[in-house]
This record gives sequence, C-alpha cells and structure tokens, in this order.
Amino acid sequence: MIIKLVLTAALAFCFFYGLTQKGRSTAISTSVLVVSVLGIYFVWFPQTTSAIAHFMGVGRGTDLVLYVWVILSLVVALSLHLKFNAQLELITELTRHIALREARHEPFLDRGPSTDSDSEGT
Amino acid sequence: MSTGREATWVVIPAYNEATIVGDIVRELLDLFENVVVVDDGSTDLSSEEALKAGAVVLRHAVNLGQGAALQTGIVYVLGQQADLIATFDADGQHQVSDIDELVAALRSAKADVALGSRFLGRTVSLPWAREIILKLAVVFTRLTTGLKVTDAHNGIRVLTANAARKLRIRQNRMGHASEIIHEIARLRLNYIEVPVTIVYSEYSLAKGQKSGNLVNILSELFLSRMQK
Repeated sequence: MIIKLVLTAALAFCFFYGLTQKGRSTAISTSVLVVSVLGIYFVWFPQTTSAIAHFMGVGRGTDLVLYVWVILSLVVALSLHLKFNAQLELITELTRHIALREARHEPFLDRGPSTDSDSEGT
Repeated sequence: MSTGREATWVVIPAYNEATIVGDIVRELLDLFENVVVVDDGSTDLSSEEALKAGAVVLRHAVNLGQGAALQTGIVYVLGQQADLIATFDADGQHQVSDIDELVAALRSAKADVALGSRFLGRTVSLPWAREIILKLAVVFTRLTTGLKVTDAHNGIRVLTANAARKLRIRQNRMGHASEIIHEIARLRLNYIEVPVTIVYSEYSLAKGQKSGNLVNILSELFLSRMQK
C-alpha cells in the first residue's frame, strides 16, 4: 500500500511537471501528462498491465512495464543530449560574439621596467 | 573582383600552439597580407605570439573546438570584405605554398570551394593507423554526401566569400571537416580537389587527435542529422 502511495505521489509530481512544460514543447509535455496518468492508473490496477502485456506478446505486466521504462529512458537520454547541444550552441554564439568584439591587432606592451609616461604620474 | 593577394584572407584556428604559430604566421605574411588567428581558449601565449608575428587575433574565452574557431574566423573575415578565404592549420602540417595552388585551381575552375587532398597529393610520415582511419572517413563521407571526395579531413581549403557566407559550421569539434563537405553537397557548391602535401612531425602527431575520436566524430554527425 505504501509503495502505491509513493508511486502515486511521484507520478503526480511528474504530471504537474508536464503541465509546466506545455509552453516549451507540446509533444514532450503531452507525453509526460499521458504517461503520468497511465502510470497512476497502472499502480492502482496492475492487472490491466497483464492484459495489455498478453495482447502485445509479452509474458507479464511487469515485464511490459520494464520494457516501456527502458524505451522511455532512452528517449529521455536523447532529449537531454539534444538540450545539451542546444545549450552548447548558445555558449558558442556568446563566445564568438566576444571574440569578434575584442579582435586584436597589436600585442600588449611589454610589462617591463616602466619607461613610458605612466611613471611620470599626474 | 580584386585578383591581388590582399583579397585572400587566411584563417588559422589555433589551440596551444605558441611554439609554432608565430613562425607559421610570419611565413604566411610573406605571401599574404591578411592573416587571422583564432585562439581557441589557449592556456599558453598563442595569442601573443600570433600578434607579435603580425596576425589579427580573435580569442575564444573558452575552448570550443577547431570547427567553432574556423566559423568565428570566417565571420570576422567576411566582415572585412575578403574575396577569398583560406583555412590553414596551426600545427605545421600544411604547406604555405599549397594555398597558391588552391587559389589558382579555384579560379581556373571557377569553383566555389577548393579542397586540399593529401591522397591526391603527398604525405610525409603519415602513420599507417592514421591513414586507415582517414580512408574510412573518406568512405563514410562519400556514402553520406554523395560527393566523390578523396580526403574528408583536410584543414587546408580556399572558399569564395559567397560560399563562406552560405556555409555554416555547427560542429564545434572534429566533426566540422565532414560537415563542411556535407554543406558543399547541401548547397550544391562547385568544388574542386587539389593535391597538397601534409607533413607529419612528432610535434603535430603528439598534438593530433586520438584515433578513437573517429567514433565520436561519426556519432556526433549522426546525432546532428537528427537535430535538423
């Protein structure tokens, strides 16, 4: 019983997270909402997973859940990789912008013993 | 269009090449008026050496990779009204005289891009393991771009400003070389391959990429196709 409550709480959290992502990507947020609701349903009615599993040619409901979880994990990993790459593009743009603004043509003057007007003071 | 050397800008991406970049810049400035070194976040004095030798220097605050450095250099040079853009490596593997060959071939063929090919040209002290990997890269690039190139990973090229404007290097790191060829195919640019000489020295081999990176390059290219 306790585990069902913990899982329900976790999946409810996912559901609300999915709601926050609506603005960013409809596909991902909808998937998260659907998966969370389905997940909660399966937590309270596990026998339905067995029915679905048989239908799909898999032995047990738990096996089906495991396989689906593996696929979802791969999708998440891919999604994170793509987000990471998008971040890298932003960093690249920023770094490029700075490099172009600060283009240099002259070496810095040697910081040896001062012989220029700096030492004269004002 | 100006035909003088001042119309050709040379872009050199550099990372920790302080011992050699000054010499390379000086050698290039004997023949060309405009040399830009893009210091890709070096932790040594590459920028200072390049500046002392007379190059314009752009510096990445963080290390992004040779592809990113090239793109930065290209953007800068386009802003300077260059006609032709030559890319050249900072590790001493390329021959300055080959740039002239590339420019001449580009002009006579009225091409958009001239690509240096070591397999049409010559290599000195190329390690056999490296040769195998380079040739595999050629096979892969031929299959994925449909272009019958003979060298898919050569940093010496000459592009017209127009071609450089259309092209966009998104692969920050080593995948950029293959990406450029993909861009040539995508944009249907006229390209020509020119024999060049690549000299492998202990210095450049020590600095060169580890062979295992080919897997990284290929996987990055594959994934980048998914993002578009």
